Amino acid sequence: MIRAAGVAAALAALAASTANAANPAQDYALNCMGCHGTEARGIPGKVPPLANALSRFMRSPEGRNYVLRVPGAANSALSNEQLAAVLNWLAVTYDSSASATQPAPFTSTEVAAVRHQPLLSVLATRSAVVHNLATTGPSPPPRY
Amino acid sequence: MKKLDRLFENSARSLAKRTSRRSLLASLGQLLTGAALMPLLPIDRTARAQEPARPSPDEQQCEYWKYCAIDGFLCACCGGTSTSCPPGTQSSPITWIGTCHNPADGRDYIVSYNDCCGKVSCGDCFCDRNEGEKPMYRLSRNNDVNWCMANSESNYHCSVSVILGVAEK
Repeated sequence: MIRAAGVAAALAALAASTANAANPAQDYALNCMGCHGTEARGIPGKVPPLANALSRFMRSPEGRNYVLRVPGAANSALSNEQLAAVLNWLAVTYDSSASATQPAPFTSTEVAAVRHQPLLSVLATRSAVVHNLATTGPSPPPRY
Repeated sequence: MKKLDRLFENSARSLAKRTSRRSLLASLGQLLTGAALMPLLPIDRTARAQEPARPSPDEQQCEYWKYCAIDGFLCACCGGTSTSCPPGTQSSPITWIGTCHNPADGRDYIVSYNDCCGKVSCGDCFCDRNEGEKPMYRLSRNNDVNWCMANSESNYHCSVSVILGVAEK
């Protein structure tokens, strides 16, 4: 059986989300989990992690701008409302330090304002954002 | 008859002279212990491990309900099952995700289609249903992707389908 532990975690997340009208866990499963994984850890060298990374990007305006413009988010099939809900859910669910440094949640208005501005150099932007974040507190890993 | 009695008596006395009851009990104990440990001895069982998995007939049919969004060779026809990769291949860590309707219970299920990687294409039971897929210009919803690209061995062999949970409407 494939990744039994990961599947169990996904099932638990899906079950927990059943009561919510907006269903970010299911939206994550259907639109993001295929690459980012059942626990949002990514694939070393291939797919960036969201766990212990996304909420740290959300600490600064440039980090928030970057997150909303990366191809996976900007081009996803999710609406602005759904994308905001998924990102907020991920930031809370998959960050061990989120309880101490809870970032301001995304709104659909914020998503709509920057989502479709092309991000021409993803890795260079990421590197600059991470470098700046590291000077003010917890930052995402510089490489993945 | 007396001769027979004498013969047995003599042999029994002879045995008693040569052995003790304690040694008899020890021998019997060794025999019993040995018999009990026989199944634990390191016997080569790899022959059975090499036997191909036995998928159900449903798993080898492209029309099987949980294959609704698959695009590839069914691993159930390639030495694996619908949920396990054939020997000698590795499951892809990145996957195509779909939602399929199970007519048996009337519910929709979220299904992960992992590719099995590391060997040349299986070539049996090709199944291209891809329900819900969008054209290439909607990259995030297009399944014309080699999901083995994140594996160290990126050759595509076949695809499995793992149910992740029930999908809400």
